[in-house]
Amino acid sequence: MSKIDLNNISHTYNPNDPEPTYALNPFSMTWENGKRYAILGPSGCGKTTMLNIVSGLVRPSAGSILFDDKDVTDLKTEDRNIAQVFQFPVIYNTMTVFENLAFPLLCRDFEKDKINERVNSVAETLNLQSFLKSPARKLTADQKQLISLGRGLVREDVAAVLMDEPLTVIDPDLKFRLRRKLKEINEEFKTTLVYVTHDQNEAMTFADNIIVMSEGEVVQAGTPKELFERPNTTFVGYFIGSPAMNLFETEASSNDCVKINGTIIKTNTNLSKLKDKKIKLGIRSEFIDIAEDQKDNLLSVEVEKVEDLGNYKLLTAKMGNLKIKSKINRETVVPTSDVKLHIPAEKCCVYENNKLI
Amino acid sequence: MNFKQKYVFLFPGLFVLIGILIFPIIFVVRLSLSGWNSYNGLNFIGLENYIRLFTDDPRFWESFFRLSFLSVTTVILQYVIGFALAHMVWKDIKFQRFFRVLFLIPMMTTPVIMTVIWRTFFHESLGPVNDILSNFGMSPKWLTDPVLAKVTVIIVEVWQWTPFMFLLLLAGLLSLPKEPFLAAAIDGASPIRKFLYVTFPLMAPISIGAIIIRLIEASKIMDTVYVLTSGGPGTSTETSSFYIFIKGLREFQMGYAASMSFTYLIIMIISLTVIAKVLTKLMLKD
Repeated sequence: MSKIDLNNISHTYNPNDPEPTYALNPFSMTWENGKRYAILGPSGCGKTTMLNIVSGLVRPSAGSILFDDKDVTDLKTEDRNIAQVFQFPVIYNTMTVFENLAFPLLCRDFEKDKINERVNSVAETLNLQSFLKSPARKLTADQKQLISLGRGLVREDVAAVLMDEPLTVIDPDLKFRLRRKLKEINEEFKTTLVYVTHDQNEAMTFADNIIVMSEGEVVQAGTPKELFERPNTTFVGYFIGSPAMNLFETEASSNDCVKINGTIIKTNTNLSKLKDKKIKLGIRSEFIDIAEDQKDNLLSVEVEKVEDLGNYKLLTAKMGNLKIKSKINRETVVPTSDVKLHIPAEKCCVYENNKLI
Repeated sequence: MNFKQKYVFLFPGLFVLIGILIFPIIFVVRLSLSGWNSYNGLNFIGLENYIRLFTDDPRFWESFFRLSFLSVTTVILQYVIGFALAHMVWKDIKFQRFFRVLFLIPMMTTPVIMTVIWRTFFHESLGPVNDILSNFGMSPKWLTDPVLAKVTVIIVEVWQWTPFMFLLLLAGLLSLPKEPFLAAAIDGASPIRKFLYVTFPLMAPISIGAIIIRLIEASKIMDTVYVLTSGGPGTSTETSSFYIFIKGLREFQMGYAASMSFTYLIIMIISLTVIAKVLTKLMLKD
């Protein structure tokens, strides 16, 4: 278990080109010991490159990586003492579950008693005790993925467990259970877990901290709450949350107000320097509600459709050419034509050039 | 839907199949039940040829066991050497492309011509091999000693056909997924452990395929023996196909040669099926 520092890391796969394209633009970050991190972003945004740089499978074009303040940039994967779980389960087909779990310790010349103790302890945590003597190839995909994970956990001193979309092959129900298991493991072993995914739901429910990436850039790093309530960029607002954040093209009408289709909406952002500039107002559909007793910050909209999505209703409304989505309580009776929606000022995010002000 | 026209489309393929495969097999079976030679026709003699083969021809069975020995030995050697070479050029080494092509050259040559060259190489008094060995006081009888003649056949066969094995195994290695190797590196596996627990098990299905293909090919060893030793000295390098060739095309005992061919075909089908099953069980363990 280690603290991991990434200092000015960047990477290009064509360093000899006159104009190299960067898979990962320079960034710095610290991953605290024993926490859960998720690297989130669409395919091709540089998530796996970042993970491979940490695990040592890729050497960064620039910058350094420190494990507990020790520079490991030039160390090979096997010398970094990390564990990695891949998208598809990787097991040793010819071995039993026990032999699979014992393999990393065997390669490091551990005593037999110690190997037995560690393997049994990890097997118990992962509910694999009853399979220890079975050939690993006969297990189901999720059990195999647990073996991959177990091989990482069996080493007590492992710096971090890196996971590259490890639940892709797992059924949705099992995914949920495995994520909970991962959380329990993190709490029990205090292992730093880094989890790469393109599924925001997975990231939000798993991690203490989420690193959102787009086109090789770290666009925001923060807690799930921060990312949800105050997305740094419109990309984060759009990428995180379902449905995506409502974004309206607008302009500042006074020091803290914007005008949407002629309606003044107050925000808590100082807009004095942005008068007459094109800006965007962002608000989560979760924070928009049907106005009952509010008087300010109301938008008069025309109801387009109401979908019952089980635990909530999704209202889609129209205001001129603007579309607004709002998640409302499923008990609420929604008028079929015109309705007033309340936009709480404290939840409004204002963006200039797609960046939060 | 039951279109009658479909038979029209089936016919060309079926015609070729009947012409080149089914008719010859049926003809061989019929021939094996006759005493056909150069002067009398397809006279039916029942199982006489088969009775002679099973009770009165130890030379056929000797040649068959010799063939088994030669083909199994050459294929094992080809597999080991082919795997080693493929493994070598699979990794990033200097002149990788050059070596990949170099190792394929024997396969691109004409077997009969290369065997003539090998015969010259191993010629006991004129060949360069013995010319060099004579400096150390040795002059092995490569082609006239019963044991060494077998060794010579094996050397030539291995030289000629290892590239084929190399090609199949290299293609297999190049198609392997990366993750198991990365996982093994992370687990701290040594190169030997990586080979034993990752490379070899992952290569098992391809290995089985390559070995079976080569066994089928090797069980037809004929041109090498014909050019190199003509089955000699005595019958010490005579293989089944060469013996059948002698009986059929030198002594013109067509009926008897056909019965040997058919028996040989049945034995090969059974033994290769068994070998494939055993290999699958051993290497895949499923």
